[in-house]
Amino acid sequence: MIRGVIAACGGPGGFVGACLMVLLIGDALGAPWIAPFDPLNVDMLNALSPPDATHLFGTDQSGRDVLSRVIWGGRASLEVSVVAVVIGSCGGVALGLIAGFFSGGWFEQFLMRTLDAMASIPLLIWAVALVGILGVGPVHIAGFTFGNEVKLLALLGLLYIPTLARITYTTALGEAGANYVAARRLQGVSVPRIMLSDVLPNCLSPVIVQATLLLAIGIVIEASVSFVGLGVQPPQPSWGNMLADARNYLFSGEWWLSVFPGACISLSVVAINLLGDGLRDALDPRHSTSALTA
Amino acid sequence: MAGLLLRRAGFSVLSLLLVSACLFMLTRAIPDSPAWIVLGQDATEKQVMQFEHDHGLDRPVAVQYASWLSGVVLRGDLGRSFITGRDVTGEISKTLPVTLELVVVAFAFACVLSLAAGTAAALARDTIVDYGVRLVAVLGVSVPGFWLALILIMAFAVDREWFPPGGFVPLSGGLAEHIDSIVLPTFCLGIFYMAVLSRMTRSSLLDVLGQDYMRTARATGLAHWRVLIYALRNALVPVVTIAGMSFGYMFGWALIIEAVFNINGLSRALLTAIQQRDFALVQGVVMIFTFVFILANLAADITNAWLNPRMLAASA
Repeated sequence: MIRGVIAACGGPGGFVGACLMVLLIGDALGAPWIAPFDPLNVDMLNALSPPDATHLFGTDQSGRDVLSRVIWGGRASLEVSVVAVVIGSCGGVALGLIAGFFSGGWFEQFLMRTLDAMASIPLLIWAVALVGILGVGPVHIAGFTFGNEVKLLALLGLLYIPTLARITYTTALGEAGANYVAARRLQGVSVPRIMLSDVLPNCLSPVIVQATLLLAIGIVIEASVSFVGLGVQPPQPSWGNMLADARNYLFSGEWWLSVFPGACISLSVVAINLLGDGLRDALDPRHSTSALTA
Repeated sequence: MAGLLLRRAGFSVLSLLLVSACLFMLTRAIPDSPAWIVLGQDATEKQVMQFEHDHGLDRPVAVQYASWLSGVVLRGDLGRSFITGRDVTGEISKTLPVTLELVVVAFAFACVLSLAAGTAAALARDTIVDYGVRLVAVLGVSVPGFWLALILIMAFAVDREWFPPGGFVPLSGGLAEHIDSIVLPTFCLGIFYMAVLSRMTRSSLLDVLGQDYMRTARATGLAHWRVLIYALRNALVPVVTIAGMSFGYMFGWALIIEAVFNINGLSRALLTAIQQRDFALVQGVVMIFTFVFILANLAADITNAWLNPRMLAASA
């Protein structure tokens, strides 16, 4: 049983990554129950106290418990990166499938050129600039109020689409000409049906691998944008804005403010990269080198 | 060769046009007109209309875009800020050199080091050298630059005062001071790409070294270093592509690094412009970055065509 799980993750490295990911997701989902204190609870008498038995990670400049803020901050980071990857995957896979299936037409040309143009957009700068242009503040959609980070995740999702569409397109193009597709057509199965139930499952492996890597990039981008004050807004904690606060305490020796949130970012990125590498070995062994930068 | 490059360049120009049009439209679609920001919330309707007329904001967006574009193409003029009334090109040219220097130094550092480390790791596969390079690569990709910056400031600027904790000393302020002030920022900026590129160099070189033609080359008695040069020419193609993209992406991370080190580069200009809701400047900065990004990708294509002329034959 355990051996099967390890193999599914693509070896021991992937397994460690998967375990860390489960921990991270569990932490994000269970934040209200796991966090020992209210992350927003101000206690000025206990401000800037170093790590001890009550506050394992110490307290920040307003006496808020750093451990609780790190736990809740993970929730924000994961929310942004996961939703962005979901948006990017849905859009990218759909467009890539359609372009690959109806290849040779004007639609394919138009779509691929548009995606190429979109890929010439440097992610981080556009994320910073567009959130800046839209303005920092909560978003109201249909009676619901969302935090400022909604802009960031929508934007990242949109900018992920070209990468994922191109990968899907490459595989779908090959699959669309395969004999089994022609056979299904002769059976009288409708084209959308063939696309979704026959071709799609065969295109997913490289998409999953790439989506994993984009997840890691999303976490770092969320932290960076929050760091310059355009992502998750205080007092809501996020690893990025906690580091922005910590920046004011570099000279007075409160090391715990900057070490813990940053270590969490690094640990998440390590976990996701290990999982991504493992999944690639398990699902998509043909492509041994994949590099994704942002 | 010339035809292919011309086509690539043509497509780059087209992308730039498309992207700039989107950005322009977006800045104009914001509901609050710059007039309200400059004149204050209690300006009269008439004052606002007068302001918009004076700055040409009452014209259709397409006309505004066309006049902005012709200014950029004909005079290199990125427009004028509605808020401060200053020339955007002038504002950018004051701060761009600082950012450019950081990025170029970091890029050079990342490229040279990753090439050496990646090659060494591939040649000494499964030795201590290889494991070392791979470990550094994993760490480099996982540690976000701005966090590394905070840690390094604590370690090497506060605890031991080897480097200044921030700020940028121009070359006129002394060579040694200048170098000291850019060591930490460029290291934090470059280490991620050094990791990515060294990993790619290693795996790509291993792929090539395993090919049959490499064995043939060795069997003909070619000198060891000569075989390695041939192998590198082939292996570097994917690395150069990623390096080209990295150069453009580095400008994005430079924003964050400059914010950590309090460096008065383009990031200060961009973040201040965002706070003042000065969209003309935001738009100018983003266009410059996008232009550099596209240019770097084009440069990577050209380098690849030179490294491996077969690629031209394949795609022509």
